[in-house]
Amino acid sequence: MNLKPTIGIETHIELNTNTKMFCRCKVVDTEEPNISLCPTCIGLPGALPVPNEKAIRYITLLALATGCAITKKGMFHRKNYFYPDLPKNYQISQFDLPVGENGKLEIVIDNEKDYVEIERVHMEEDTGKSSHEGTGRIDSATSTSLDFNRSGVPLVEIVTKPVIQSSKVAVAYIEELRQLAIDLDISEGKLEKGNLRFDANISVAPSKSDELGTKVEIKNMNSLRSLERAIDYEIKRQSSAIENGESIIQETRHWDESKETTTSMRSKEGSADYRYFSDPDLPNMVLSDKFVNQVKESLPSLPHENRNKLVETGLDLSDSNVLSKSEKWILELYFKVYDNTKDSKATFNWITGELQGQMRKLEIKSLPEWFSPNFLSDIIQLIDANKISFTSGKVILEELIQKDTTPDDVAKKLNLYQENDESAISKIVNEVIKNNQDIVERIKNGEDKLVGFMVGQIIKSSGGSINPGIAKEILSKELNL
Amino acid sequence: MSEKFDISNIAKLASVSLSDDEKQKLSSDLSVILEHVQALSNLELDTNIKNVYIHPLEKELVLDEDIEKPSLTHDEALSNAPKASDGKFIVPPSLE
Repeated sequence: MNLKPTIGIETHIELNTNTKMFCRCKVVDTEEPNISLCPTCIGLPGALPVPNEKAIRYITLLALATGCAITKKGMFHRKNYFYPDLPKNYQISQFDLPVGENGKLEIVIDNEKDYVEIERVHMEEDTGKSSHEGTGRIDSATSTSLDFNRSGVPLVEIVTKPVIQSSKVAVAYIEELRQLAIDLDISEGKLEKGNLRFDANISVAPSKSDELGTKVEIKNMNSLRSLERAIDYEIKRQSSAIENGESIIQETRHWDESKETTTSMRSKEGSADYRYFSDPDLPNMVLSDKFVNQVKESLPSLPHENRNKLVETGLDLSDSNVLSKSEKWILELYFKVYDNTKDSKATFNWITGELQGQMRKLEIKSLPEWFSPNFLSDIIQLIDANKISFTSGKVILEELIQKDTTPDDVAKKLNLYQENDESAISKIVNEVIKNNQDIVERIKNGEDKLVGFMVGQIIKSSGGSINPGIAKEILSKELNL
Repeated sequence: MSEKFDISNIAKLASVSLSDDEKQKLSSDLSVILEHVQALSNLELDTNIKNVYIHPLEKELVLDEDIEKPSLTHDEALSNAPKASDGKFIVPPSLE
């Protein structure tokens, strides 16, 4: 049977505001429990929530950046469920009037543009953190301990339409969304810190069917790798169940990272189970045209716009996508270096390959103050003009990262400028020929691979200052090859 | 209206202890409330309406600046907890 998977993704983004969503307790990043709490975020009776203006601004930025229609007259709802990490016994969220609806996000797959349709973008609050004390196993815990520092931290939930058809597209979507949040400066976007968390709804149905199969929700994927593996596993599990004539149960399944399987957690709640109703503590939220326009004007250059600018410099879409997901200073460095070199591929390779590689090796996160973008364009231009070799370029770069100097000084000091003058090179070539008569004989007898050895000897005798291409050319001429 | 609830169970779920007198008084109060709310089920409602824009308050939401304000100290926050340990609230084991 030909089957097709359909995936929808729900992502929660923790905003990087100074204070929480509905109270002015500071958002803290610490292991020390319960140090930033007030009656509102621990759900004491009589406490009243007051929304954070910056959080509303941030979600509006994200909704506009994903091309959503903004709900000008919206409201908050109570989503009721009983779990100790939610002290009010409801989460303040949004139900039928989210801040944004019907948007899309551009992604890049195999050097081609694609789009993921977004159903909604809504505002809510995070829960506290619970840990289960006792034997270490959740089902035999003796008690649950709670830290409410995270309770009430602003969360934006972004829900895609069920339009994703592979784990590859799902991963590209999350990477793009993460970059967008970083570029908008609304979140740290660190997966390992839980700034970005995602669940996937997966169903499998016959290829020709217009209807979707039974939906299974997968939770507990905390890296892009686990997202990819969990989706692939679940598609296989559902497909083989369908092929064996078994029916799929609508449920929530847990991704087990160590076993690389999904296991059943509980039957899935429908939205009716949450008994949503409008929060009587929070009046209608009106986003005025003036407010929305102000937010629109503050939109920075978005990842897809950066990609387009990079493509204009001559890079292909795939390389442009890599650069658009780099740190801001790398993107800025690319444009500055490209302005001088006008060589997009060399600029890309030197920045993403050599420069970042050396920085990783030296374990430094940012370039020293003295490092001018012109250094990199000088190196690229010196190589292009055959004045230094590619290898010398790498040596010069390494020096420039560690010492306050210039490419010219390093090249002179280390004698890296190549001799391009033919008569001077001929002199050295003839000397090497004279000193290696046995090798020359063997080359004449057909051992071609020894030419490389001779070129090596010539470069060595010159102290590394000869252009290998020219040396080989002259050697061939002298030996009548 | 006969009582359709178990006041002892409700008290247990709400974590409040009630004397027999209180149970009796609250039972009759709750019966009156339920009877009153019962009137709603006599209304004919169109359950197919989407995006109903209703809210008990006419006012618009006021937003607050993202500036930290003093809140509870760690000890104050934990002072009402039935049980606490290592700076955390402790509750009976819970399962998802």
